[in-house]
Amino acid sequence: MPKLVVKNLRKLFGTFEAVKDVGFQVEEKETLCLLGPSGCGKTTTLRIIAGLEVPTSGQVFVDGVLVNDVPPQKRQIGLVFQDYAIFPHLSVFENIAYGLRVRKMPEAQLRTKVHDTASLIGVDNILDVPGRKLGLSEMQRVAIGRSIVLDPKLLLLDEPLSNIDAKARERMRAELGKLQKEIGIATVYVTHDQLEAMTLADRIAVMRNGLIEQIGTTSEIYDNPRTLFVGNFIGSPSMNLIDCELVYSEERAILKSGDFALDVTEFAETLRAKSKGRELVLGVRPEDVSVHVRKTDEEAMECEVQLVEPIGARSIYHLKIGRLAVLAKGYAMPEVDVGSKLWTTFNKHKLHVFDKKTEEAIV
Amino acid sequence: MTKTVRYLLIVVVSIWTLAPVAWMVSLSFKGPTEWYAPNLIPIQPIFDNYISLFIPTNPIGGSYFFTSITEPITKPVINSLIAAGLGTIFAVLIGFLAAYGVSRYRAGGTFIIFFTLLTRMLPGATFVAPLMVFYASIHFIDTYAGLILLYTAVTLTYAIWLMKGFIDEIPPEWEEAALLEGASPWTVLRKITIPLTKGGLAASALFIFILNWSEFLFALVISVTEVTTLPVQISKYVSAVGRMYGTMASLGLVATIPSLALGYLIQKHLVTGFTFGRVR
Repeated sequence: MPKLVVKNLRKLFGTFEAVKDVGFQVEEKETLCLLGPSGCGKTTTLRIIAGLEVPTSGQVFVDGVLVNDVPPQKRQIGLVFQDYAIFPHLSVFENIAYGLRVRKMPEAQLRTKVHDTASLIGVDNILDVPGRKLGLSEMQRVAIGRSIVLDPKLLLLDEPLSNIDAKARERMRAELGKLQKEIGIATVYVTHDQLEAMTLADRIAVMRNGLIEQIGTTSEIYDNPRTLFVGNFIGSPSMNLIDCELVYSEERAILKSGDFALDVTEFAETLRAKSKGRELVLGVRPEDVSVHVRKTDEEAMECEVQLVEPIGARSIYHLKIGRLAVLAKGYAMPEVDVGSKLWTTFNKHKLHVFDKKTEEAIV
Repeated sequence: MTKTVRYLLIVVVSIWTLAPVAWMVSLSFKGPTEWYAPNLIPIQPIFDNYISLFIPTNPIGGSYFFTSITEPITKPVINSLIAAGLGTIFAVLIGFLAAYGVSRYRAGGTFIIFFTLLTRMLPGATFVAPLMVFYASIHFIDTYAGLILLYTAVTLTYAIWLMKGFIDEIPPEWEEAALLEGASPWTVLRKITIPLTKGGLAASALFIFILNWSEFLFALVISVTEVTTLPVQISKYVSAVGRMYGTMASLGLVATIPSLALGYLIQKHLVTGFTFGRVR
């Protein structure tokens, strides 16, 4: 039985429809990530699950039980807030013990429980420190500890890393991932950072304008984006998107955009069957664009280097194919510099074609 | 240079605020012959003004004054403590809950909160007459209930506005976190919100207490003999030969003691109350 089922969730704030029709489920020990830009309704969805917002319509089931009318304090759901909401006037011990005290757990049992949790999350050496004196990484741990000490059925995390600078974020992301493995609770994780989503989630639900655009494993989402938005949102640097038109000449199907032309005869059947209009968007990830110093392939296109961004062993090349700007990610070539003329090919097996009107993927 | 200017400013402001107090102290130790004299240091200092607060028939500086006062000031002191104290407690309690509702649940929308302020834009003198008629009809004149109800009602607006500000400073996440830990909304209020806003509550309470404690107009109208408060009592030191300035000054000084003491007691909270937002 799935731990959490969300069905047809809808939430209006006045006339603004924050969540339009959201549904998903989370299995035992699974981490589902709600990923999307700010304002896509992901935090609202999380708050509805926690019981902090009342949905306009739709249902939330925890452990198979409908919890729509259960107040948040009775849902047994742990929530880690964006800024952790550590009680500033209480010590770390009391912060973790808070929920147990509310439940009037006997003191001896409470101490054992708090100490066990504290050592699991690695804060057993700062139990006497008051909440207002904690650093960010300590706060994160305490917030998680406070949520899991009650053995919740579900753990919700609301952008727990977004207020942290890039360097510390990397470390805390790794720590969070490790903790998550150790704790092993069904988790819903909200973030706008695709890297966080990809490293921490078992499955990702990409949200936009109050709807889930696609839900699937990291590789499903990355390799087969179902919509233009998902393709563009996931991946860094983001996918090259080229507005083009499908034309036929001499038995061949060609995607044309100004001077740029790409032979797509191998997909002609699918394209003809699925595309409604002729206006298409070609998507190709920078790592699927290869650059060569010599013309190695018959279909290779000539291009000019506009900028090279070295990122260690690899480089990001900003190319111009005719008037078209394209990003390529490949091995660093020390001889290549701004103004160099190169040859580029697209990996035909990794091409994405979207319908421009419906934004849905065709290939 | 700037330091000198700063000290100079402090000195000027101090003189500005403390000069009347100094004059009051001086007056309270002067005999009737010096009440109108411009000297700050009494030529013949006496304690008669203070003694006459407790023994109304006591001569001051050798001369007798005949007033309507027959009892010592203990009763007005107790009256003031009851009226101002309970009025403050009720205003703070009700005001806190109202402010919490407005801050967290947007109770009443924007209109109600503004409307409460609107009631305070009217000078008290404009509704003192109808209030007296109304109070007479429900037999509230010269009763504690009448004074306490009025003090609560009048200061409630300030209580709501002041405390709304302090509650707004508390991120709702803290309360939501406690809620998700299993605490009921009342427990959240008691264990999270109130401890975190106590500086603000103390500052609000002191402010409201001072307002109630020094209130004169309503007390004058509502009290006859039973619930005379200190400010009204001060105004009663008038004899056939004129106002008894020395006695009035001595009672005025006595009357400042409770406010001062209260302020001193909650001093620690006041600092956090006034610098709220930085304590987080």
